[in-house]
Parts: sequence; structure tokens; C-alpha cells
Amino acid sequence: MRRRIRGASIPILFVALWEAGSRAGALPNDTFSRPLDIVVAGARAFTDGSILIATWQTIEAALAGFAFAASVGVLCGALLGLAPRLERIVGPTVDALRPIPAIALMPLALLMFGFGLTMEASVVAFACVWPVLLVTIAAVRGIEPRLLELARTLEMPFGSSLRKIILPAALARIVVGLRVSVGVSLVVAITVEIVINPRGLGYGMIIASQSLKPDLMYAQLLWLGFLGWGLNEALSRAARRWPGAQP
Amino acid sequence: MRRLRLVSGVGAALFAAALLVLWQVLADREFISPVFFPTPTRTLAELYRQVAEGTIWTPLGATTLRMFYGWVLASLLGVVIGAAIGSSRTAREFLEPLLEFTRPLPASAIIPAAILFLGLSNAMSISVIAFGAIWPVLLASVHGFSSVEPQLLEVSGTLRLTRAQFIAKIAAPSALPDILAGARVSLAISLILAVVTEMQASQPGLGHNILLAQRSFRSPELYAGIVTLGLMGFVVNQGILKVEERLLGWRAPGQP
Amino acid sequence: MAVTKNGGAPGSGGKECFLSLRGVSLSFGLGDHRRPVLSEVSFDVAKGEFLCVVGPSGCGKTTLLRLIAGLLAPSAGEVVYQGRPVTGPSRDRAIVFQDYSKALLPWRTVKGNIALGLEACEVAKSQREARIGELLAKTGLQHAAHQHPNQLSGGMQQRVQIARSLAQEPRLLLMDEPFGALDAITRQTLQDEVVRLAAETHTTVVFITHDLEEAIYLGDRVIALADNPGHVAAMIEIGIPRPRSQLETREDPRFLAHRHRLFGLLQGHRQ
Repeated sequence: MRRRIRGASIPILFVALWEAGSRAGALPNDTFSRPLDIVVAGARAFTDGSILIATWQTIEAALAGFAFAASVGVLCGALLGLAPRLERIVGPTVDALRPIPAIALMPLALLMFGFGLTMEASVVAFACVWPVLLVTIAAVRGIEPRLLELARTLEMPFGSSLRKIILPAALARIVVGLRVSVGVSLVVAITVEIVINPRGLGYGMIIASQSLKPDLMYAQLLWLGFLGWGLNEALSRAARRWPGAQP
Repeated sequence: MRRLRLVSGVGAALFAAALLVLWQVLADREFISPVFFPTPTRTLAELYRQVAEGTIWTPLGATTLRMFYGWVLASLLGVVIGAAIGSSRTAREFLEPLLEFTRPLPASAIIPAAILFLGLSNAMSISVIAFGAIWPVLLASVHGFSSVEPQLLEVSGTLRLTRAQFIAKIAAPSALPDILAGARVSLAISLILAVVTEMQASQPGLGHNILLAQRSFRSPELYAGIVTLGLMGFVVNQGILKVEERLLGWRAPGQP
Repeated sequence: MAVTKNGGAPGSGGKECFLSLRGVSLSFGLGDHRRPVLSEVSFDVAKGEFLCVVGPSGCGKTTLLRLIAGLLAPSAGEVVYQGRPVTGPSRDRAIVFQDYSKALLPWRTVKGNIALGLEACEVAKSQREARIGELLAKTGLQHAAHQHPNQLSGGMQQRVQIARSLAQEPRLLLMDEPFGALDAITRQTLQDEVVRLAAETHTTVVFITHDLEEAIYLGDRVIALADNPGHVAAMIEIGIPRPRSQLETREDPRFLAHRHRLFGLLQGHRQ
């Protein structure tokens, strides 16, 4: 209990000081809003639905990119993990492409797809594929060899053994990579929105900042922080319930 | 065994070469519009031109400098704050919830607020970079400092070291592997955020160049910029790995 | 080919045999590190026979089994199964591994594990329930049908592996020291069960063990494999009629004679 009080004390103190400072005029109004104003702005954004629409747009892009990257990453990772020779040939090319920052591809995606969902999702997908790919390769390599021999003895066709033996056996470790990937998807989506793409929460924040509505911007920022934290918590809880999926 | 490595090396080179050839053929035949799909030869020619004419160095330098300033700031703050938090259980209790909440926040989300305070300036850039890059180092430092071998704590007690001496002579070297690993991730994040803030604030740099190339539909420049960034990311990562090897040579092979 | 029951006449060289090893040798490693594991192993196995291969640890018994299964290829010689050389694993040659916990799917129940064999053999879904029920009954696993392997004892897990292997309806069952990790009582129970199952299903069995008495108790014939490198030291006809019993058979003078002989053989080759 003492830990909880102590933990909450700093943020509470911080907000109290902020409110007092704003009221006293010590903090300029155009950069620091009053905490109360932020709450009001936030409530308004919820009731008129704007923040919810923006949230959905961000989630949509992040999810689409993640789903694509996860499928490609798991499939290719399984193939490369099972065929070390193939992995040795393809590996260096993967290592060469991996250091390219996904956001460096934003202008390219813009050129190819124009503004909107596809562009954002494709940048997200590029960023998300690497953690999944690498983790899947490692996970498949670490599968109990007996199970692979069992699959051979049963003369299972590749698709069947992939579905029934390889992926379930590697799943616990793959899930860890997927968790990282989900986090990456949100970050990259927000980044794309802030810099280029006129949709989603990131764009909402930039607009609020530029139209000198700092209270709305802070409200959105807090909401985003809450989303990120909530997502992290949800993933941790889910991982704990799945046997063997601890990072 | 060496023969196997030679064969795979050749295989890998052939694979990469095959991809490049495919790229060249597809772009040449204009299956995809050359507006956003230039041939590798044009990309390389553009890259060569930038190097030969010296036009690449200014933006490269600008991005690199911004990245480094932000990274150094983040690392120093991260180690200092991490050391303080890691060595004190009370500090951890007070600060952990705040850290738990702030950590998942995307660093780029800070940009609108940073613009509000600092405008579209270098200061804005470096603060955003520092905010994003501090986490790996901070968390690694907290972990490193709070998990010093208990026996070393006892040794420090018997030797009657002051807290400062303990931190400098025992805790810091013990935490070094973690800190360096965190610093490596931090550097990668610094590069990304440097490019992001450049694009956002239209500051001179590699990221900005790529954006300009996109706006004027000059795809070879765009691709050349991407290649440059990829190379930079690779070189920077390798650099830190070498430093790690040097500083951490005392570790037995196989230790994490 | 006439179907012979357990205890039938062994195959002789030249006649078309169910399973035949001809001059099988296997070495691991390359160049200076080349290590011979098996050397010129030849023997035949008749259909329906229960053959035991016994030898000290490290003599290559497991390697031999994996060669028969098709998981490994010999460096020299060949393994001929039903008249055709073995080039890879096959459903017809089921293998029961020694480390049962690693050979079962931990995320499936007992029923699910057995079902894997049926799925691989493309048994129609409608027939699967019935077959699984049969196998559960045959191996005494009815009460554990919905449990996961990690909830079962070693003996039960091994039973699941055996049930899954039988689901493949193999003509040849290969068993790699299947009871080595089990306690003595469970071992004896399962020994009798395996003999019974093999007889019921008319399956040919090649059973590997380092336990002399187990080999003599179970087998129609015992092949003694001496090590360094693995080679056939003797082939012994057991000649004790079935059904055998744990108590009486082990006191049978023939049993004791075989035991003496095998003990001497394997000791002698150790020098």
C-alpha cells in the first residue's frame, strides 16, 4: 500500500504544481495549459467523437501494418528457420535491409500510395516485420528435434506439419516477438501521422499544436500515453496467461 | 567447415546480386513507374554523384551531429538518473509508476509539444531525440545498478567505501555491460528520431533531403538517401559493437 | 508372403525378407575426425517377429534404429524393407522414442496426440473417434483421454506414444529403449503390454535396449551388438514359448542360459 501511495505521489504533486503555477500566471498560457482546461478539452473531444475517430484511424493503420508484417514474418521466419542453407543465402540481404529506418521510407510510401491508410500501413509493416522474422527464425530453430523427426516419420506434407507441429511448438517464443511488433506498430503509426500523414491521433496533435490549442494537444497526448500503457498492460496480462510465453 | 562458409558466402552474394538484377530489369522495362522505381544503376550513380560533388557531406554531417548530441545527452541523463534510481529502493518506489506510464509513449508524440515550446529549431530536435533515446539507457542503468552482485556489496561494506566510491569503483563497472547494450539501442533510436525531427521541422539533413526528393519526384535521390541512411545505421551499430568488445573484454565468453 | 505369428521362423539370407540389413556401416564426421559408429551390420527380420537388439550404451543401437526408420542414411551397405531399399522415413515404420516427453505434443491432449497419427494417415474424420477409442482401450488410457502429457506419469506418457504409433497402423514398430526411464514395476507392466499389442496387431517389432534380461524376456530373437564400432556379436534364438510371464520365464533354465551367454559375449567384447 505504501508503494502505491508513494508511486502516485509524484504525478499528483506534479499536476498540483502545474495547476497552481498556471493560475498564478507563472506558466505562460499558450504553451502550458491549465490541467483543468486540459480535462475540459479532453472531455469535449470525447463527446464530439473527434478523438475516437482519430484513435480508430491510428489503430486501423497500426493493425493493418502489423497483421501483414506478422503473417509475412512468421511464414518466412518458419521457412528460413527450417532451412539453414536458405537462411545463410538470404540472411545477409536481410541484414542489409534491416538497418533502414522505417521512417526513411515514408516519402517513398507517399510517392507510391499518396496520403492515407495504405501509405501508413505499409511503413508500419516494414518496421514490424523484422522483430517477428528474427524471433520466428530463432524459435523454429529451437524446436525439439524429436517433433521434427515425428513429422518426417508421419510423412506429413509441409503445410500440415507447419500448422500442426512447427508453429504450435514455436508459438510461445514467436508471441514474444509479436508483442514487440505490436508496440512498434503503434509508435510508427503515430510518427507517420505527426510528420506526414493527415489522419489519426498524431495528426490531431499537430493540428492542435499549430492552431494554438495546447489544451487539446495535451489531452490527446495524455490519451495516447494511456493507450500505450493500456496496450502494454493488456499484452503483459495476456502473455502471463499463455503458458510459456514469458519474455 | 571453412568450405561450407565459403559456399554460403558465394550463395548469399549470388542471391543479393540476383535481386539487384531483378530490380534493374523491372525498373528498366518500366513495369512500375520510374517515378518511384528507379533502376539500381541510377540510384548508385546518384549516390556516386553526391559523394563526388561533396553534396552528401553537409546533410550527412547535420544528421549525424544531431543524432550524437541527442544520444550523448540521453545517455548521460540516463546513466545518472538510472544510477540514482537503481541504487535506491525508495527512489524506485516513488518513480516507477511514472516511468511505467511514460515509457510506452512514442517519442514522436512529444514533437507537437516540443514545437510549442521550442519552435522548429535544433533545440526541439535534440530534446525530442533525448526524450526518446533516454529509455533504453535509463532502464538498463536502473537494472545494472540495482543488480550488483551482493557479494560485491559486502566487499564494499568491509572496505568501508563511501557511497560515491562504491558507485564509481564497483557499481558502475558492474553495470557497464547493461549500460552499453542500452546505449546501442539508444543510438538506433537517436538516428530514427533525428531523421523524423528533420522531416518535421524541415531542417537540413538526410531525412529532409529524402522528403525534398519526394516532393520534386526525384526518385533516384530518394533511393540514394534511403541507402545512405541504411548504411549509416549499419556503420553506427557496428561501431558500438566494437566499442563493447573493447571495453567488455574482461567478460568470459558466453556471459550475457 | 505368409503371415507368421510371433515366434515364427527367422528369415534366412537369400529369401525375400520383411526387413533386411546388408553390410550396413555408418561413420560420423569428416576427414581426420571420421568416427565409425556401425560396422558391417547384417541381419534379417521376418514378418511378425519380435526382434531385440541389445548392447552397452554407446554401441550404436539408437543409430541402428534410426537407420532402419530412414532418419539416417548409411555410409555403406543398405537397409531393405519389403524388398525395396529405405530412402527416407515412412509411416509404415513407426518409431517410439526413448525421451517420450519430447516426442509428444504438449499442447494436445492424449486424444489429440493419438489423433495426430490418424490425421497423418488421412483417416476420415468420421472414423477417427472410433479408432482413438480402440487405441485408448488397448493401451489402458481411457481415463486419461483428455489430459495433457505434462499431467501424466512417465509410464502413461510412453503409453501415449505407443498408442500414437499404433494409430499409424505400421507394419514395423521400432522402439528405442522405450522403458529405460521408467521404474521397474511400470517397466514390467509395459513389457507385457507391448508383447500383447504386437501380437494382436500382427506388427513386426525391433526393440532396442541395454537391459539383457528385458531383451531375452521380450524377444523371439536377440541380436547382441558389441561396441567400438557397433557390430553384431551374436544372434540368438530365444526359443521360449509364449505367453511368457515375468516371474516364471525369468527362472526358466533357457532364460538363464541365454543370459549367461549374452553377458559373457558383451563383457568379452569390452576388452
